[in-house]
Amino acid sequence: MKRFVAVALGILTAIGGFVDIGDIVANAETGARFGMSLAWVVVVGVIGICLFAEMAGRVATVSGRAVFDLVRERLGARVALVNLGASFFITFLTLAAEIGGVALAIELATSVNYLLWVPIVAFLVWLVVWRVKFDVMENVFGLAGLALVVAAVALWRLGPDWGGLLHGATHPAVPQGESHPTWWFFAIALLGAAMTPYEVFFFSSGAVEEGWSRADLITNRLNVYLGFPLGGLLSLTLMAGATLFLEPRGIQPGHLSQVALPTLLVLGKLGLAVLLVGFFAATFGAALETGLSCGYSIAQYFGFQWGKFVRPADAPRFHLITLVSITAGAGLVLTTVDPITVTEYSIVLSAAALPLTYFPILVVANDPDYMGDKVNSWFTNALGSLYLVLLLVVAVATIPLMILTKAGS
Amino acid sequence: MRRSTAVVGVLLLLGGCTGPVRSVNVYESKAGRTAEVAASAVQTALLAVEAADGGKAHGRYLTQVLVEAEEDATSAQGTFDAIQPPDRRADALRVRLDGLLGEATENLAELRIAARRGHLAELPELARPLPEVAEQLASFAEAHG
Repeated sequence: MKRFVAVALGILTAIGGFVDIGDIVANAETGARFGMSLAWVVVVGVIGICLFAEMAGRVATVSGRAVFDLVRERLGARVALVNLGASFFITFLTLAAEIGGVALAIELATSVNYLLWVPIVAFLVWLVVWRVKFDVMENVFGLAGLALVVAAVALWRLGPDWGGLLHGATHPAVPQGESHPTWWFFAIALLGAAMTPYEVFFFSSGAVEEGWSRADLITNRLNVYLGFPLGGLLSLTLMAGATLFLEPRGIQPGHLSQVALPTLLVLGKLGLAVLLVGFFAATFGAALETGLSCGYSIAQYFGFQWGKFVRPADAPRFHLITLVSITAGAGLVLTTVDPITVTEYSIVLSAAALPLTYFPILVVANDPDYMGDKVNSWFTNALGSLYLVLLLVVAVATIPLMILTKAGS
Repeated sequence: MRRSTAVVGVLLLLGGCTGPVRSVNVYESKAGRTAEVAASAVQTALLAVEAADGGKAHGRYLTQVLVEAEEDATSAQGTFDAIQPPDRRADALRVRLDGLLGEATENLAELRIAARRGHLAELPELARPLPEVAEQLASFAEAHG
């Protein structure tokens, strides 16, 4: 029974923890502009993140060491440094975006300018990282993030033309008045949002933090194969809400407040309150994950003691890196750069850096020296290789498309 | 190394400036895009008013939505007005769009003021001219986008 509860909790946490500011912004913007025509990208992204997160979790579970730790050992310091540089930059940008996202969510509830909340949010993120136990932190914010399910409830209460939505999703076409490059640019943004690198680092480091053993491999699979797709479904409900309410009116959401409008109009004050809790939990949880991931990636590369499973005094450099990252992330938002713009750039650049993140994981997950009999199956390798080709194409196309479409404007 | 850094710096500075537009077609497309952004802001405000009319939202959230809608429209107008119109045809476009933008921002400001004062019941009445403004902005965007 205890085991069942632990597995169920893990799945629920994975659902609530899947959605972050990048998913919220990307799905709402895409739905408002292209309807459901890019829903397929979310499916592709979720399959991709499931594939590589399962690999990363399996690597950590079998070897007892996290991804960066092994990447440096297996691929050498130079290749790993490129991997680290790209991943850290993206994770840091995402951290800044999440801190801004939390502040924006509080601004919606209080009407107090988000910039005033940024230092407080950054302090709270650091405090939780410093003081709260890993499993408590993960479970509380993962479960609270489930409040976003209210967006799905609103959609169901609205009783939309499900056939029409499904038709839009299964018959992708560039809407009239939009160009193909812009459509593809948004497809890349959605993929970047679904496959953000920090999710994999956090997942594999989390497996070490929680001391997973081979007996937990099934938990790893269930968390990934059930939790992430259901989280992806949450993203799609945000896209559908934007498709139904914002697209027909020509609204281009550039604020978190606009993303909440569909739920508000269907469910009223209570729905809005629950959604704001969901926004807060999803972004705060992701701020914790990205803040920790900044510390994990650098500490694991340089071989510093890392993690919350040891006392902070035993991992001072790890905690210092995390603290500096959180402070710098807050500093970036305090320059008054729009957090939604930071989010947009973080997910697009994330897409450009995806092969650098995922290639080493595929290599390590195939190494029998680390994995023994738990190396990738032929099917996982075939699918992984297919994804790497796709990610390579995406990486090459991202920057030209960004310039050509003026970042999708 | 220093020279390339300087070149990159100059390019970035130039990229950040709102330069003169030499072609009327480019000016027209910028006008269309501005109208699109303003129409989006007006439609957002209309949804917020709809929520206020049904008593579906609390004042703080509505105020925030209306403040952001006004900021979006004002910022779009400010950016557009900073562009030098290249010829007389562009002048005519500018005058026409500025009229629409002025109407939109004025109405959005009235909504924001009322929401900030907590007079949510007044919002539907104040928003009465907005659907037409939104329609005109959308038509302008379609014609010139």
